Amino acid sequence: MGGPGSSSPCASCKLLRRRCAKDCIFAPYFPPDDPHKFAIVHKVFGASNVSKMLQELPVHQRADAVNSLVFEANARVRDPVYGCVGAISYLQNQVSQLQMQLAVAQAEILCIQMQHEQPLQSHHQVLELDQDEKALLLNNNNINNCNNDNNNLGYAMSSGQFNSNFASPSSIMQMQMQMQMQDPLKQESLWT
Amino acid sequence: MNPKRCAACKYLRRRCPKDCIFSPYFPPSDPDKFACIRRIYGAGNVSKMLQQLPVQTRAEAVESLSFEARCRIEDPVYGCVGIISLLQTQIQKTQTLLAKTQAEIAVCSNQT
Repeated sequence: MGGPGSSSPCASCKLLRRRCAKDCIFAPYFPPDDPHKFAIVHKVFGASNVSKMLQELPVHQRADAVNSLVFEANARVRDPVYGCVGAISYLQNQVSQLQMQLAVAQAEILCIQMQHEQPLQSHHQVLELDQDEKALLLNNNNINNCNNDNNNLGYAMSSGQFNSNFASPSSIMQMQMQMQMQDPLKQESLWT
Repeated sequence: MNPKRCAACKYLRRRCPKDCIFSPYFPPSDPDKFACIRRIYGAGNVSKMLQQLPVQTRAEAVESLSFEARCRIEDPVYGCVGIISLLQTQIQKTQTLLAKTQAEIAVCSNQT
């Protein structure tokens, strides 16, 4: 009885009051010294669902999966109505605000540059942007390429309608691939 | 059997009582919604979660659970946490670009 290298049952088997087999699927990820971790995952997802999810994953991905499940479970306990979706909505608003600030700053840069290049032209002409300059403003950062998906997600969040006709998880994942996302579990801020 | 069973009771193959906790949120026209949520959270857990919430917040809770469940099905390793990470990365990049652009504005303004 007991997890690998340990004589005491893992946190899962302790909570579930059962023998902890040598090949217990939970043991590597739920050590006995952190009972809260499994308790919260069990409360939100249920032990059997977590077990099924882990069994469907290759071994090298299970630790990350457990950590993300713990994160989601904590978010759901803190906010029983919105869970992680509340955090997504908040971050989406931040992205929108920053993009607006960036667009304003980029427009200002263009105006200043145009003033440097054509100082003798009238005020009206200096403020006009031609098609190339507008395209430059809109495409100057690769974030704007994902703007539609972000705006759809933002709309869905703010209106409280998580409608599959708006941003779907798969469209968000496509954006993820474009952004070449870093390993999410290595970002310290995500787990504190 | 009541022909107007909600999607949850249809899935669970049981009668749909008048006070079924699932029926306001899982219409029979959208069977996938309950199927996804049940797959990730389990019917019993969802029922408990809804019972612990005020009635006026349950619709929002079901929608957020549905979204998270779909995220988890599409990305079994990271679920919607992957989206959070993506957004955080996007925020960092935009902040960096904004700071750089504002520094350029300061330089250009000093030159005029």
